[in-house]
Amino acid sequence: MAELKIDNVYKSFGEEHILKGISLDVTDGEFIILVGPSGCGKSTLLNCIAGLEDVTTGDIILGDTNVTYEAPKDRDIAMVFQSYALYPNMNVRKNIAFGLEIRKMPKAEIAEEVARVAKLLQIEPLLDRKPSQLSGGQRQRVAMGRALARRPKIYLFDEPLSNLDAKLRVEMRTEMKKLHQRLGTTIVYVTHDQIEAMTLADRIAVMKGGIVQQFGTPQEVYDDPANMFVAGFMGSPSMNFLRCEVTRHENDYAVQIESQGTVFQLPVDPKQADLSNYVGKTVVLGIRPEQITHVMPHLVSEQFITQVPVKIEVTEPTGADTLILARINDQECECRVHPQEAGKVGDTMDLLFNMSKAVFFDEQTEARL
Amino acid sequence: MAKSKNPSYASINGRAVLYAVLIIVAAYYLLPLILMIMTSFRSMDEIRMGQLIEWPKSFSLDAWSMAWSEVQIGAREDRGLRPYFINSILMVIPSVAISTTLGALNGYVLSFWKFRGSELFFGALLIGCFLPFQAILLPQSQLLGWLGLSGSLPGLILTHVVYGVSFTTLFFRNYYVNLPHELVKAAKLDGAGFWVIFFRIILPLSAPILVVTVIWQFTQIWNDFLFGVVFSDPSSQPVTVGLNNMVNSSTGEKQYNVDMAGAIIAALPTIVVYVVAGKYFVRGLTAGSVKG
Amino acid sequence: MSVSRKKGIDYWLPKLVVSPTLVIALVFFYGFVLWTTFISFTNSSFLPSYDFVGFDQYVRLFMNPRWLNAMWNLVVFGVLFIGICMVVGLVMAILLDQNIRAEGAIRTIYLYPMALSFIVTGTVWKWLLNPTVGIEKFVISLGWDSFIFDWIIDPDMAIYTVVIAGVWQASGFVMAIFLAGLRGIDTSIIKAAQLDGANLFAVYTRIIIPSMRPVFFSAFIMLAHIAIKSFDLVIALTGGGPGNSTDVPAIFMYQFSFQRGQLGIGAASAVIMLMTVLAILVPYLYSELRTPKNG
Repeated sequence: MAELKIDNVYKSFGEEHILKGISLDVTDGEFIILVGPSGCGKSTLLNCIAGLEDVTTGDIILGDTNVTYEAPKDRDIAMVFQSYALYPNMNVRKNIAFGLEIRKMPKAEIAEEVARVAKLLQIEPLLDRKPSQLSGGQRQRVAMGRALARRPKIYLFDEPLSNLDAKLRVEMRTEMKKLHQRLGTTIVYVTHDQIEAMTLADRIAVMKGGIVQQFGTPQEVYDDPANMFVAGFMGSPSMNFLRCEVTRHENDYAVQIESQGTVFQLPVDPKQADLSNYVGKTVVLGIRPEQITHVMPHLVSEQFITQVPVKIEVTEPTGADTLILARINDQECECRVHPQEAGKVGDTMDLLFNMSKAVFFDEQTEARL
Repeated sequence: MAKSKNPSYASINGRAVLYAVLIIVAAYYLLPLILMIMTSFRSMDEIRMGQLIEWPKSFSLDAWSMAWSEVQIGAREDRGLRPYFINSILMVIPSVAISTTLGALNGYVLSFWKFRGSELFFGALLIGCFLPFQAILLPQSQLLGWLGLSGSLPGLILTHVVYGVSFTTLFFRNYYVNLPHELVKAAKLDGAGFWVIFFRIILPLSAPILVVTVIWQFTQIWNDFLFGVVFSDPSSQPVTVGLNNMVNSSTGEKQYNVDMAGAIIAALPTIVVYVVAGKYFVRGLTAGSVKG
Repeated sequence: MSVSRKKGIDYWLPKLVVSPTLVIALVFFYGFVLWTTFISFTNSSFLPSYDFVGFDQYVRLFMNPRWLNAMWNLVVFGVLFIGICMVVGLVMAILLDQNIRAEGAIRTIYLYPMALSFIVTGTVWKWLLNPTVGIEKFVISLGWDSFIFDWIIDPDMAIYTVVIAGVWQASGFVMAIFLAGLRGIDTSIIKAAQLDGANLFAVYTRIIIPSMRPVFFSAFIMLAHIAIKSFDLVIALTGGGPGNSTDVPAIFMYQFSFQRGQLGIGAASAVIMLMTVLAILVPYLYSELRTPKNG
């Protein structure tokens, strides 16, 4: 186990720049998730850490060693692949033992290690089967077992759960979290699934266009996004972005919204943003669906909460909540209400806009204000 | 074949016509082989008197032993096709082994160990699949002369290896690029190097393409005539050249039964391969010709 | 940046492993083609000489009626051989695609000639086409006294016997290619067309065959390649005769280079053959490379 330092890494193919100056510090035992849309460079970064691809410039330091130009086999890294990449011609036992054999571990120790890993992952009954005789979930476990057997300095996971069906994915997610808590290993994990990122990570690096947009704990990334991309990417259903004008309001500022012909002032919490330079201008209000709810009497009088009647355009019951699509400032806006409170399509319904967690972005640069 | 409004009669008649056509065509392909076999068991007297298509009245293996070891071909001492057949075997085994090995290694590198220019190299190599051999016959015979390999089996083997390696590389490369690349990545992280990955991971997965390639190379080289006739002398000529010489030697009366027996002898190894491994034979023939 | 790149054994080994093949490609393919081309511009006869004579050998080549005849024969043979093989192959593939019983056995029968050497094929058909012992004699003995089928000894018709034998050998192979192509078509397209009311004929002519364009192209390239290289079949079937009536460029090249000791003109004929292959191949490769591919 070791810490990992990625220092200003660039990766280019000719004129095409995949990674543009990535720097990340991963502490010992940390579970880091790289998340972003496809093509953001997250898998390339993982391959660079593994040594499967060369970096163009920059350094990768693992523990005390600069491994930037080491061959993958000399880095002492294990990786779990999306396709699992189990060797089809070997049974499970051989698959787990292969890396140990190559590293010339004595036979008895290999057997011991295989047994330990098999017990840990509860795959003992599968040891003599070929990969083709395993289910998706079992293959996934074996792939993890192969990585665990080597006790490497660091583990890399490349979308390891994305080939599983939805139910199994949730189960394995929990299990992986337990495993990490138990073993305390350093993990870098790539996914495009922001729920996976939120639930598993100690810290999340949100990537886009070969650049880390934000690197922080899940809650930081969720509540305090660095820009519109991060805000929109993290969270499901995603954050509402409403363009609206900034006005003065009492001693502070407010943004104006319009619903069904009436204009409302939503007071801005000065803790969230200083909009003094934007009076009379348009900003992007970012407000998550759960901050727009049905009317709860004890909240109505709160300082940053405003009651607004909206017209219901679409309802989407999810069971626990019902999502309501309304039209604000002639833009779509998703709101999360209690199922019993939800009106019918076409009805007008009063909703509470809670601005205490709202965030604001510059319309042009999309940067956080 | 077209669906009719009155399915009962029309479709039954349609099927009957369909099967009749298929069987007639099958007869067209099959008859020459059947006639060859039947004729090879007849005596020359019977052939002169009798008919082209006629059940052998006497069943005799004389023509076969004539073709195999008795008929005088050219001026050589050993009689019959046997020495040519042995030459073909001595030629085909090392040629297939070497060209297949090279193809597997090339395919492995070109799929999993790409380097700057490796795609260009692959493209440049593919020209060998389409090269009309006439364009290289003259320099190749010069080169074999310089190497002292003119008219020898090693010279013939060298030629077959060199001009077979494009196809073998193409086969292996096209097979390997469809294997999951993550296997090799995983093996690299497990600490395996170039050869360990090849022998422990890739080669065990190569059985299907190995069979296809060996069959392809075997039939190509066994059936070759051009290289055989240009680059060999009587001591190293393959069976195709022997058969042609035997059939076209102008001395004496045409012995059709011997000719046919000889033709079957020359064709036997590839026909056996075809019958035993027909599925792979087809795959070899059509490999690369149908975009997948 | 500060650490220099270590180029380990796994960096050099792949290059080392392909290097023999690189030498093969450079020397035996490109080098030899250049050498042949060079010789075609010299006055080489029995031995290669290095006296440059410009296009003289090409002029002599195209003044030679044997060569013109050989080229013409290649055109006749090529067009008929490729055309008939394609038609027969496609029709047979479609017929076999109709849920035929014993499809495997029938396919096996159609395809086995491809396992034979052209020398064997030539030997067999030479006998079958021989009027005094073969098909002609057989039909006459059935009672059709005036039946004549003596193409193989008729200089005007002999080239067609090469077509007959060639089609017999290769059409099953074309069928196999087409059948693989038919099987590769997404069946949901066919179902959709049938729901749209297309009958079986329309499904084939409007949907399936147009979507097999690449397969047609591959089959064409393969057949053209066989046709241009055709040497063994003609040697075994007619020996180029009667007279020189079934000469093809491959035989011309072989005889001038290796039997008559006229290396210069032989090399020139080889270059023309190569040019013919390239003229067919380059547009094909161009269209192949133009289509974007992944990875």
